[in-house]
Amino acid sequence: MAGTSALPPPPPPQWVLELTAPTAPSKAKAGSVPDPPGFTPTTAIQSRQSKNTKGTAIAPRKQPSPEEMDTLKIKKAWELALAPAKQLPMNAIGMYMTGNSLQIFSIMMVFMLFKGPITAVLNIQGTFQRLETESNRAQMLGVKAAFVGCNMLALALGIWKVNGMGLLPTTRSDWLAWETARDPLERAYYVPSY
Amino acid sequence: MLLPLIAAAFLLAGSGSAVFTDEAWNVDYHYALLGQPKQSTSFFHQPNPSSRASLVYTLSERGVLGAVNPRDGAVVWRQVLLAGASAHNASFLRAGEGQDVVISGIGSQVAAWSAADGRQAWSVDFPGPLEDVEILELVDGKDTSGAKDAVALSGGDQPVVQRLDGATGSVKWQYQLSGTDVPYQVSASTTEVFVISLHKTILGYLKLKVTSLDPVSGHKMDEHMLSSENELATADTIVTVGANSASPINAWTDSTHSVLKVNIMGTKGISSFDIEKHGGEAVERVKLHAPYHINSLSHFLVHYETATSHWAEVFHVDLKRGQVEKAYSLPKLAGRGAFSTSTSDANVYFTRVTSDQVMTVSSASHGVLGKWSVGGFNVAAANDETAEPIHAVSEVSIRGDTVSAVRSAVLLSTGDWVLLRDGSPVWSRPEMLASTVSAAFATPAEVEALVQQLEAEAHSNPIEAYIHRLTRHVQDLQRLPAIIMSLPQKVVQGFLGTSVDGDITSDSFGFHQIIACATQDGRLIALDAGNPDKVLWNQQIADLQPGQTWQPSVSSPKGGVVEISSKASAGVQYNASSGEQLVSILPIDVTADQAAQEVKYAMHDGGLEATVDSSTTWHFMPTSGERIVSLVPRPLNDPVASIGKVLGDRRVLYKYLDPNLALLVTANDAATAATFYVLNTVSGAILYSNVHTGVDLSSPISSMLSENWFTYSFTAEASGDSPKGHQLVVGELFESLVANDRGPLSSTANYSSMQTGTEPFTLTKIYQIPEPISKMAVTRTRQGITSRQLLAVLADSSAIVGIPYGVVDPRRPIGRDPTKDEQAEGLVRYSPVIDFDPRWYLNHQREVVGVKDTITSPALLESTSLVFAYGLDIFGTRLSPSFSFDVLGKDFNKFQMLATVAALAVATCVVAPLVTRKQVNTRWQFM
Repeated sequence: MAGTSALPPPPPPQWVLELTAPTAPSKAKAGSVPDPPGFTPTTAIQSRQSKNTKGTAIAPRKQPSPEEMDTLKIKKAWELALAPAKQLPMNAIGMYMTGNSLQIFSIMMVFMLFKGPITAVLNIQGTFQRLETESNRAQMLGVKAAFVGCNMLALALGIWKVNGMGLLPTTRSDWLAWETARDPLERAYYVPSY
Repeated sequence: MLLPLIAAAFLLAGSGSAVFTDEAWNVDYHYALLGQPKQSTSFFHQPNPSSRASLVYTLSERGVLGAVNPRDGAVVWRQVLLAGASAHNASFLRAGEGQDVVISGIGSQVAAWSAADGRQAWSVDFPGPLEDVEILELVDGKDTSGAKDAVALSGGDQPVVQRLDGATGSVKWQYQLSGTDVPYQVSASTTEVFVISLHKTILGYLKLKVTSLDPVSGHKMDEHMLSSENELATADTIVTVGANSASPINAWTDSTHSVLKVNIMGTKGISSFDIEKHGGEAVERVKLHAPYHINSLSHFLVHYETATSHWAEVFHVDLKRGQVEKAYSLPKLAGRGAFSTSTSDANVYFTRVTSDQVMTVSSASHGVLGKWSVGGFNVAAANDETAEPIHAVSEVSIRGDTVSAVRSAVLLSTGDWVLLRDGSPVWSRPEMLASTVSAAFATPAEVEALVQQLEAEAHSNPIEAYIHRLTRHVQDLQRLPAIIMSLPQKVVQGFLGTSVDGDITSDSFGFHQIIACATQDGRLIALDAGNPDKVLWNQQIADLQPGQTWQPSVSSPKGGVVEISSKASAGVQYNASSGEQLVSILPIDVTADQAAQEVKYAMHDGGLEATVDSSTTWHFMPTSGERIVSLVPRPLNDPVASIGKVLGDRRVLYKYLDPNLALLVTANDAATAATFYVLNTVSGAILYSNVHTGVDLSSPISSMLSENWFTYSFTAEASGDSPKGHQLVVGELFESLVANDRGPLSSTANYSSMQTGTEPFTLTKIYQIPEPISKMAVTRTRQGITSRQLLAVLADSSAIVGIPYGVVDPRRPIGRDPTKDEQAEGLVRYSPVIDFDPRWYLNHQREVVGVKDTITSPALLESTSLVFAYGLDIFGTRLSPSFSFDVLGKDFNKFQMLATVAALAVATCVVAPLVTRKQVNTRWQFM
């Protein structure tokens, strides 16, 4: 190892070079095929602009402002927040279809129904982290509240389902085991006569 | 939360079968008993003249006629001739030589039965009680072709002798006895029929009057009085009349048993023999044994018994000279002994059975023809008691001049009926159990000892408890070698599913409970419910004089203890496992409920009377003309798992649970009405009552009360709009009929029935049942979670049925189909007729005859209840009303389970390297 370490690394094989150096698009080919209608390559815009407004420098594509960016992000965040609500009708139909019997399929469905909203709420920070900025934090609170609310709706659907399956201790019979019989203060004993 | 579902599952399960086929002969046991045989009505007899094999026939003290196979002791057939008979009922059983019928006489009925299968050939009813039945053995050849005729003597107001045709039972002639003499017995020689009656002299002594009749016409031929002087004060000292068909004799002694007088019937001469005094002890009993066959030698044996010893003398009758001579005597032996007579052609053999030997002699000389020593009778007895023979019947087989084999059916003093073949016991039948009058389950004392040790550890300080525990475990270590030795066998048995449930000490399911049975004749017998083939112990606990009755009641006040209460002795306690009487006469308080005030109530002057601290609190007097039929209090130990019934919509209907309930049945004979009361026995309040009119009071009225429901059954007479029928009424008591309402007391922790009387709301339903129920019981489990089965004894079909509670539930909807919620509860539409499903019969193929009562006890397994029925037969089984949900059934395939596990293990081992190689390969492969 010590002997070979001094050697310079071997040149990369030809296929590696070809892979790393993509072939340049052939100008002739690009020029021969017309652009699709409505497509305005930047070069064309620049050239047109340069034609119309002479003297002005070719301005680069305008970056959205932080306000615009915030608006976009809020928009995106609302979409995310309301996504669970959009799934509700489908879930509701699914739950209705599985029936109230205790079967492995319906139990798994109900489990997923509970697991989804709870994990979503727990990961709420991660979900909205990309979209959250210093400036839109106040707005994001509302969005998050909406997200939590939607997930709660999904959870409520799950609870409705579980109740339908009779798994919630809502009735008297569920607490019957904690009720004790009354103790009599007198005991009567029959004395058989022989 | 799953409670309603489980409850529903139980309710549905409850309607399943009571006995599975693989359990049928396994969990249940049955003793088909006859009752203790009598010497005079037991004999060996060939059921078929052509066959050599004979059966043992007996008409027992309990009035049961039966034939027992002498090879294995199994009952070939039996007939209950007189239900409720006791040892004092006169009964007769005769079989003519070479006849295929046996003729019985009991009560006032003479009947002939096919000897092979027990079918009745004919029966004749007499106006008065029977005094004697004999078979006419005539030598004139006229009547020997067919069945031999019988001669019967009946007493009562119009004593009469009748000759009955052996084939049809029709009366050939009858002779009316006149005068005030009491008819005593009838006897027949080859030429004459003798009627012996007792004539009372002016001085109060008895004289024997012999009337001889012509057997063909029934006309009186002669009549004379035997001069018995002043010896006969009562009929008890007449030793025998009849026997020896060749030359019937009369024999009697005086009241002190000092002289024996013998008269050959038809003559007036009396031979007198002094009874030797052996060792100065008074002779207590004198018995005479003679052959009954017409062509056998007219020899007989007189058997003398004192309190501690016995001996015998053999006499010969000289027919020509009309004299009786003493031939030889058999030596005196200590203890009791039994003699039996057997014949072979003309020869007569006497077999003597004592507790240590069997010996056969010929009647002609005192030479011993065969002698076998008896190692033991192989029956359970108390420690200080040796089983002694009471009486025996024998069959000898003769080869040349010696006896090659002898079979003796011996009744022992323990009540067992044992067959000795050449001195060794072949089988034994526990006939003493046939007269069981009371029985109770008890925990074995070994189990109770462990419980007490654990309790001691729990209540001492930790260090002491630890030392106690260590020493206990060290003691347990001594059993380790035995456990290790038995381990392979246990594993194999468990694997094959053939394991029995272990012995008493290692009983994890609580199936080994001790059943203590008290019998009419003063014995206490213990059986193991888990191993019922053997009697654990058997001892005499009451010395009863003949004719004295005893009404014991057996109970188990605490684990490991059996308590006997009777009029004479209140609460004598015995160790349940060993039968030893417990010396500690500390009154054990059954009333564990110390906080509660005690109210005691008892039957008093045809009513009920309750007292608190010896001051009367309430009376219950039936209205005039009514009498109390039965009183069933709620059992002391009656655990209830749930205080309410869960409805289909998961609401609760609260049960009216009061431990002080009792069901009282009264009958009014004049109005043929029966009234049923549910009483609160603390306050005396009537919580529910119902009157049924047109009740057949001669048929049984059975009743039962448990938890919050009661049931009773009776037979209703035919009336204008309904035919005669048997009815079963089930009632259930609720706090309120509104769901989720716990009544006025609501959820208070305690209550006093004297201050706040609440009344239950009662639902009842009446069902028509196909048969009368003579006795009812209910299954009991440890915590009361398992659904209940109503056990009904059907006397008419000799069966016990377990009716699931769901079938008789009073909440069954009437006139409509059940709603969805009711269906979830397992309720079905009410139908007034219940047919006993064949699957409910606990006894399946067996015939359980004469059951008086059924007792139940919880096992350690919640699913299982132990059942024991007694009366004439003994029957026991284990019941799982909601199926055995807490133990693996026999159908569980252990082999399949182990094979699956093994296959999975092998598969894992084989596949693991393959998977590893594949994973490594995938890592090394790209593109």
